[in-house]
Order: sequence, then C-alpha cells, then structure tokens
Amino acid sequence: MTLNKKETVFLRGSDLRRMILEACNYFDIYKESINELNVFPVPDGDTGTNMSLTMNATAKELQKIESDSIGEVARIMAQSALMGARGNSGVILSQLFRGIARGLSGKDEVQLSEVGKAFQYGIVYAYNAVSKPVEGTILTVAREIARGSRQAVQTSLTFIDLLRIAIESGRNALERTPELLPVLKEAGVVDAGGLGLVVFLEGCLQSMLKCAAEEQGTIFTEDKVPTVLEIPDPAGKKAAIGTVMEKFNPDYPYCTELLMKGSGISSQKIRQCLDEWGDSLLVAGEGELVKVHIHTAHPGNVLEICLLQGSIHDIKIENMIDQYKETHWSRPSPDKEKTTTGKAQDEKNPQIKFSGGAAGVSRPSIGIVAVSSGEGLYSVFASLGVDKIVSGGQSMNPSVKEIIDAIMDIPAEKVIVLPNNSNIRLSAQQASELVEKEVMVVDTRSIPQGLAALLALDRAKTLNENFTEMCKRARQVKTGEVTYATRDALVNNVPVKKGHIIGICDDRLIVSGKTVNSTTLDLIRAILTGEEEVLTLFYGQDINDQQARELADLLGKEFPEIEVEIQYGGQPLYYYLIFIE
Amino acid sequence: MSQIKIVTDSTAFIDKETLEKYGIEVVPLYVNFTDEMVVDGTIDNATFFEKIRKSQEIPFTSQPSPGDFVKVFERIVQEGNEIISIHISSGISGTVESANTAAKMVDEARISVFDSYSTSGGLAMLVIAAAQAVEEGKTREEIVAILNRLKSTLRVIFIPETLEYLKKGGRIGGAQALLGTLLQIKPVLCLQEGKIEPLDKVRTMKKALERIVNELPTTAEGLQVSVINAESQENLQKLVELIQERFPGIAINNYEISSVIATHTGPVVGLAFMQNV
Repeated sequence: MTLNKKETVFLRGSDLRRMILEACNYFDIYKESINELNVFPVPDGDTGTNMSLTMNATAKELQKIESDSIGEVARIMAQSALMGARGNSGVILSQLFRGIARGLSGKDEVQLSEVGKAFQYGIVYAYNAVSKPVEGTILTVAREIARGSRQAVQTSLTFIDLLRIAIESGRNALERTPELLPVLKEAGVVDAGGLGLVVFLEGCLQSMLKCAAEEQGTIFTEDKVPTVLEIPDPAGKKAAIGTVMEKFNPDYPYCTELLMKGSGISSQKIRQCLDEWGDSLLVAGEGELVKVHIHTAHPGNVLEICLLQGSIHDIKIENMIDQYKETHWSRPSPDKEKTTTGKAQDEKNPQIKFSGGAAGVSRPSIGIVAVSSGEGLYSVFASLGVDKIVSGGQSMNPSVKEIIDAIMDIPAEKVIVLPNNSNIRLSAQQASELVEKEVMVVDTRSIPQGLAALLALDRAKTLNENFTEMCKRARQVKTGEVTYATRDALVNNVPVKKGHIIGICDDRLIVSGKTVNSTTLDLIRAILTGEEEVLTLFYGQDINDQQARELADLLGKEFPEIEVEIQYGGQPLYYYLIFIE
Repeated sequence: MSQIKIVTDSTAFIDKETLEKYGIEVVPLYVNFTDEMVVDGTIDNATFFEKIRKSQEIPFTSQPSPGDFVKVFERIVQEGNEIISIHISSGISGTVESANTAAKMVDEARISVFDSYSTSGGLAMLVIAAAQAVEEGKTREEIVAILNRLKSTLRVIFIPETLEYLKKGGRIGGAQALLGTLLQIKPVLCLQEGKIEPLDKVRTMKKALERIVNELPTTAEGLQVSVINAESQENLQKLVELIQERFPGIAINNYEISSVIATHTGPVVGLAFMQNV
C-alpha cells in the first residue's frame, strides 16, 4: 500500500496477494465453527471446509506468482478459485472472485472507488451463478456487503475503514438470515456460507491492519479485528456461536450505534475520545457523516461525547446480555474424528476408473460422470454404465477440477454429469462450463436419484433427449437416508439429540430414534404411500451383511407387497441409503 | 388359375381356426431337450415351462431345415400355386435362410420369402394381413409391397421377467449391456431392425407396462394391436387395461408366445402393433 500526499491510497497486486493469503490462514482457524452451522445435524464437513478448500486452492496459486499488478493477481485468484471450488459456497465464492477480477482487470493498482466497483461485479457474478437465488444465504450477505462498501466508498475512507464497514454490513445481513430463511430460524443458526464470507473479510482486515502497523512501525494486535466467532477451544469444547454474532464482553454489555452529522468531524478524534469507554469500537467516515459503533457500559456518556462534535441520528442501543440469553444455544462440536477419517479415505482414491462400464461400447457417444462414495455404490454405478466416478458426496464435496478431470478422461465428446448431491450441483455446473466438451448436469440430489436417472440412459439418443428423460426419472424416486445426528436440534418439529439415529426423506428430516433398525423402519413407514413397488437398501460401511438381511426380513414381513432388495453400498456416514420406486 | 398360398412358421403361433380359415401353412421350429425334441406349437406354455422346471435345463432351439420347407413348398407349387413365405426375423433365427434355400431348390420364381423382422404377435399380424390381401385378390407383388409398408410400422416391445433366458440363449444383441446390472431392473426390450435391443430399463413392472404403452402411436386410425405373453397372465391383464384406457374400445388380439420364443425370453409380457395408413 502506498500513501501519497493527497492521502489517496492505492492497492497493488502484492497487497491483494498478501491479503488473500492471510485471510486464508485466518479462515482456517474458524472453519470448524462454520461447519457446525449446517442446518441439518448430519455429519458432513460442509461449508467451512468447502470454503477453506476453495481459498486454499487460491492461496496455493497466488504463492507461485510474482506479479504486482492487481489485475493480474485478481485474475489468478479468480482462475484458481474457479478450479478449486468445492460445494455451493465455494462456487459462489469463486464467482465473487471472478467478478472482482473482472472489475480489476487490466489495472496495476487501484483506488478505493475501483475496489468498490469491483465488488459490485462480484455480486452480479455470484447471483448469476445460482439459478434460483435464495435470500437468507451467502448471496444476501454478499449483496449487503457490496451495498455497504458502495456507500462507504462515497464518503472516501481508507481501505481499512472500507473493510470494517463491509464486515459490519455483512454481519447485519447475517443476523437477518434466520428471518429470511425459516429453516435457519428453526435450527437456531445463521447462514454458514454468509458467515464464512464475513470471516473471510475479517481475515482480509487483519492482514490490512498488520500491514498498516508494519508501515507505521507499531505492533499489531489481533484483538483489533472484530471477530464474529470465538476462536475455537483447541480442546474441542463448544465454540460460542449464537445469533449474537459479535464477540462481547459482559463488562461492556451495551452495543451502541449511531450516525453523526456535522462538518469537519474527525473520526480519529472521536476514536480517541471513545476508546476508554468500551471495546469493539468502530468509527467509520469522515467530515460530514460518521458512523460510530461501540460496546460500552455507559451508552449515555458515549452519546454525550459524540454530541460534542455533531448531531446524532439513528441511535441504537441494545443490551447484549438479553440477546445472548434469548438466542444463544450451545452445540457440541461435530465428531471430528469421524469427519476426518472419511475425508482421508476419500482423498486416497479421489477418482476410481472403470474401463468396462458399458459393455461392448468402445467409444460411447455419450459419457457419464457420477459422483459417489463407497465401493459398493461405485460398482452399482459402473454396472449401469457410468464411465467415470468422482469420489465424493455429503462428507466430501469434490472440487471443480476433479469433475473436470473426470469429464476430460472420458473419450466421449458429450458428457452427462450426475452430482448426486445438492451441494455438488454447482461445482458440476461450473465444471461443465469450463470444458470444451458438450456437458449437461442432471440435478440429481441423492444417490437413488442418480441411479434412477442412469436407468434412463440410452446412448443411441441425443444428449438433450437423455438429459430430459434423466431429469424426469430422477424426480420420480423417493430417497431415504439413515445417519446419526452430530448435534442437538429441532428440525421439522422432530427433536434430535446428538448421537441419535435420524431418518431423512428427500432432504427432510422425518424421524429420530435410538437404533438404526427402528429408525429405518419408522422412516420407511412414514414415507411409503402404498404406490411403491421396489425398495432397495444400500447398506453403508458401518453395517454388515447380516444386519442388512435382518432388516430386509423385517421389511419383507411388514410390507409383503413391496419387493425388498439389499445391496452393499459401502458409503461412509450413512447406515442406509434407501431407493424407493 | 394359380392361387397365392401363405406360409409362415410356428413362432407366429396363430390359432388353428384362423389358420384353417385362410389356408395358411405352418412350418415348425424345434425345441431340443437333452432327451426329447418338441415340435414348436404342439404344447402349451404351462406344459412347456413345467417341463423346463422339471428337467432343470434350458433347452436349445433350432430352425426348420431347408428340407422341411422344401416339402411344403413343393406340394404347394405342384398344385400350381404361388407362395409368400413370411417368417421370424433373420436377426434372431435362421428360419428365413432355410426358407430361401428351399425356395431356390423348388421354384424361386413362384416363391417370395419375406423376413418379417418380427415374430410372435407381430409376425402373426403380418401373416393375417397377407392372407386378407390374398382374399382381396391382390397379386404377389402387391402383397409383398403391402407387407413391406406394414413392416415399417410394425413394432414389438416386451418385458421379460428376467434376462437369464435371453442370456443363456445368446440372442441378446444390444441388450447385452443390461447384463451384469447389479440393481434389479425390469428390462424393456424391443425388436429393432430385427434384433433384440434394449428400449429402456425401469425398476418396476408397473412402470415397464406404462413405458411400453407409451410407445403406441397417438391415433388409433388403422392401428392393430396385439398383446403377447407367456406365463404372465396378471401383467397381461394390466397391459390390456392400460391399452384400453389409451384407446377405449380398441380390438386387441391376444397371442401366447410359442415354445421356441419362450425358450429365449422366459416368462414375458409384451406388445406388438402396426398401423396401416
């Protein structure tokens, strides 16, 4: 960063690179806490992990480059995020980067206003990445961040102030996500992707503050960064996350915010005056309009101090202790051992090759890539003609690059991708747009949907015909999933305790119970309508053949009119995947 | 004056009454068990499958010999008549070849051998259409032209309860790809260019039946529909209901499949149709 005489600050490529690298490290500290916000208490290494992997892919590439042109650094940043994007949140993040890179393209250094503009591009790209944007998600948070920074740019601040305001806007938006998305409210969480974005910006801010401290020869202390999350206790004790998103000190319980209007207001002076009255101080703006935010024990004094410099507006004083009591709830941390084991296994074999998927077809007109985990399921997919399997699923979303590699590995010029998980669809879509082959992604959200779609495959037909038929077939099946809860929750009015077995049908939690068999039976009872004819149980790696047979016998007795089939799936985390037609 | 006689083979499995009405001649294929040879069309499917279950073997089938055809052709030609000999698809049987060889031996100029690219109810419908054309006084060339036109619209679609029989019989064609599928599926197969090809694979019989009925044309004009089955009465009933739902009041011919075809398909239900437009 260089300050010239007019106090115009320029941001260069090296600044951006450093910022991203440090933000990436910063983010890693919090990724587990972000993972815990998954709405469904199912064991998966979801949002935090996905965003972290996406950022790390970016960091890896940025470390290799020397350029100091911000346009070039941003281009690499966008490119690498695009290739490394995992999960929906990762893809949206990569789109944000793409938009930002577009805004910075061709520039060696930029001013504040240009950064603000670049962020607007980022939002447009992020919204375009999602076919049906849902409010109350990372998109809402990103949009509000962009809106906040656009306003901040107009009052001409430093990059540090800009980031502070961006973070503040992001946090405000984040707090509203439960109001916008009922599923979040019910689970008592804020949106994990949105939180991830805010945490990322905090990391950027930390980097900027460090940088500034270095330039001024002062010592940087981490507590200058307003953190949304507590740093997780290394012993694995629960992290304090609630909808009171701010770190707060009971000594300063009143969150006080106001706008000051006047002329020649000095934010530095205000900062000095208010500093002794509390913490989490944020003073943004200069001159005619200044925004003040502080946690204090004496809001009255804060108001008086501000009144000395101008008129005060939009005053908001809240007792955070009340908020904390109302909304704070504790969640045990996820079963980390379990999650990491699953990952390690998946990474050993990220892609499994099948040479003879479609018997007798040497160069099929249409190739199929399917995402799946578990050796039994690999075989089932292969037997139905899948050419290439990308290992992944709920526990580990594959990267865009892994999907691209699989698509490119197939000789066919036309490829259909079956993501088989709603969290992988965007990565698959992204992959499809980045290859020169003609690729279509069938929105299969579960393994059974993927299998049903695959049954419709007819290589003699066109890509479009297959796509249409496969989409139709995928929607005609019911998917049941039996796994365990990683935390307490109340979902769809079903109370769930950590460690309990839960039954899910088409992404809705239906039952919870103490044993796998009883929960599976309850789930099946709840979802059968009498129309179904065939029920296939894919048993996971934690169930043995005998157990599966016993369950199948029970089902056969209770539902004699349904043909029950058992198959080894070998999938991690899910005791049973149930394919009902 | 020279008459035209229609000859077919036992896989058309046309009932005796109809055969006599039109004077259609049938040359049978054979089903060979280790200790016994069954002439196709002489036993019903219940007896046949009972025999298979008892003997614990899947028999092999054989086409009529050229000699079998020569006998029939010679008799007809000697009576001063011409022949149109319509047979099971060359894609699944060598019957047409035997008939052609015999025609050359007897009198090529008076015999037209016609490859139906079909069998069972599909073949039966062509044979009866030809016989009716004979009654209308059409010439051999005209009748062959009619047959060619009908053949282009003729489709046979069927659902074997298992692929085991087709696999053992080796006449599986493109349906090969369905073998080794770990999931239990209901294969929907069809005769395409005279060969067995997979049309679809679904998981339940209900969907499979709906699937084949969906293949029917949009209008009933000139449409002739036959249902075919072996040991699959319940599904046959459902199939008939589905067709009647689609085209209320339509006449549906019902054909059992012959022992030779049953040897290759096992218990099966299916549909044959053609449209004369």
